[in-house]
Amino acid sequence: MALLNKVEAGHLMAVVETINLRKVYMLGKVPVEALRGVNLKVEEGEFLSVLGPSGSGKSTLLNLIGALDKPTDGKVFVDGVDVSTLNENELASLRRKIGFVFQFFNLIPRFTALENVEMPMAIAGVGKEERRKRAAELLETVGLADRMNHKPTELSGGEQQRVAIARALTNNPRFLLMDEPTGNIDSKNAYEIIQLVKRLNREKGVTIIMVTHDQRLASEATRTVHMLDGLIVKETVNKT
Amino acid sequence: MKPKDIFSYAYSAIKLRKLRAALTTLGVVIGIAAIVALLSITQGLQIAIASQLQKGFATDTLIVSAGGGLGGADASFSLLVNDTRTISQIENVTAALAIIQRVGYIKNADGRTRRATIVGVDFKAYKEVYGSTFTAENGEVPLNPENTAVVVGKRVSDPWGNGTLFCMAGDTVEILWTNTTARPLRNETYTGNVVAVLQEVGGFSVGGPSDTSIYIPITHAQSFFGTDKCEMIIVKLKSDDKTTIDSTAKAIRSLFGGQVVVTSATAVLNIISSVFSTIELFLAGIAAISLLVAGIGIMNIMIVSLMERTREIGILKALGMKNRTVLLIFLTEAAIIGLMGALIGVGTGWALAELVVRIFSANGVGFGVRQGGQAAIAGGIAIAPVLTPTVLLGAIAFSLLVSIVFALYPAWRASRLKPVEALRYE
Repeated sequence: MALLNKVEAGHLMAVVETINLRKVYMLGKVPVEALRGVNLKVEEGEFLSVLGPSGSGKSTLLNLIGALDKPTDGKVFVDGVDVSTLNENELASLRRKIGFVFQFFNLIPRFTALENVEMPMAIAGVGKEERRKRAAELLETVGLADRMNHKPTELSGGEQQRVAIARALTNNPRFLLMDEPTGNIDSKNAYEIIQLVKRLNREKGVTIIMVTHDQRLASEATRTVHMLDGLIVKETVNKT
Repeated sequence: MKPKDIFSYAYSAIKLRKLRAALTTLGVVIGIAAIVALLSITQGLQIAIASQLQKGFATDTLIVSAGGGLGGADASFSLLVNDTRTISQIENVTAALAIIQRVGYIKNADGRTRRATIVGVDFKAYKEVYGSTFTAENGEVPLNPENTAVVVGKRVSDPWGNGTLFCMAGDTVEILWTNTTARPLRNETYTGNVVAVLQEVGGFSVGGPSDTSIYIPITHAQSFFGTDKCEMIIVKLKSDDKTTIDSTAKAIRSLFGGQVVVTSATAVLNIISSVFSTIELFLAGIAAISLLVAGIGIMNIMIVSLMERTREIGILKALGMKNRTVLLIFLTEAAIIGLMGALIGVGTGWALAELVVRIFSANGVGFGVRQGGQAAIAGGIAIAPVLTPTVLLGAIAFSLLVSIVFALYPAWRASRLKPVEALRYE
């Protein structure tokens, strides 16, 4: 797991930076301003939560940071690279350096936990043996050593989300993007998930950006930005 | 993504919907089976007929018959039996024999009558040219025959092919012929002796011995039919290479001032094979349409699959999959279906061809060719379906091509899906 240790003491750089980020959707014929100029900087090794009610633009922000969508205006820098200058292929390559964790897990149902975790490595062209070994290690890290050969339908919500987290970690991502990671999980499992996330951040130095509408969950992060109507309205540093 | 992983991913997607994949594959199977069955039967038939022709129709022979070039020949021109002498003088010609041919009747000792082609030939010369087919199964073909000698084809002796003989070697028969040029019409008849029954030739032949003919000595034919004219002259050459054939044919044509048609066995074979190629192409075209229908089936299924898997594609893209790889996965799925369909289709088509041939042979219909207005079939040709490597590989390649071409659009659409929208898709 030494590979995950990217934090070099005393040297913090911005993994993600957004400058005056704007996004306008067309809802039918009505333009909807989802983001109205967001400036955000996330340092390496940080655990940031983005808190806001639904419709505040936090998911849009996440999609833009994750290079899943393109901004209407403004810029997103990932590791100092302007995302808007990248073509489709380069965007795909960039996404390999980002670990996504979705609210609805988004595992591929016909594959086992192990195969799901292998998938990003298969996409990146890693050989079968190597990815199997690494996938098994990661599943062990998230506490699913004994559930590797189960399919998503045979796993609980909490277990599925652990698989998703393991999958997000496979390619040694620059940061994890989590969209309501506990939104579909019962409170006991949600607690365990958040402990896992915190452990990854503290022990492995994984940079984490988590979107949630849950005040309590948000306060588990080291820093919280509050969003409302497409703008960051407040920023708090949490005591952990 | 490695090709192996793309393949196994595509395969896992197909496996997910087994019935659907099986039905789509079935479409391809039917198309390919139709192509393979039709082509292997026609090719088998072609080979069977060609080999029959080669048997009854030596490749080192030319057939000379009256009839001019373009613009119509002089109607009064006829080949004479004596013309064989002048033809024999031509370079490369080893023998020339005249054939007089009439449709007549043969009457056996019981008074039964059968229609048959009466052929007057020089037995000795005929045997030299068609040694393998002008051979007795029963009795003996005399080289210096009596005027009354009659050699009959297998189907004349055994018309029903069941051992109930109409006549056999040693029988006395009556040969009848109606002289239609005489006024009033006159029935000519003489009593002959069957000296030999020929071996079964099978199929048909041009010039060479046939199962439904009766052979009488040429000199006797001349007096019986009251003519010096002959229908054709068969010319045997020193070799069957193209230059010999062409130069001799030219020499013969100029000898008769262009009033004759010279046909070489090889030319006839070429014509037949070109006719068959056309038939083959036509049949394959029809079969290909069914494969196109299968292709549309593939396209349909891929579009449905694309919709079902929109979210999955979104996930793959979020995990860093390139558009090109998504495209390849979809095309690979189609290619797997196309390949499986092709392999099963080739097997099915082959089995179908065997079955069809067997059913036809069993019913005794055969692929026989009716001759000279005979009710009986002139011996069925035994055909075996032939599957050439060209047809085999062509069918597989065509199936793959159709599958991939029809999958291009859905695959392209899948590759162009926007990750955010795909992930949001329910």
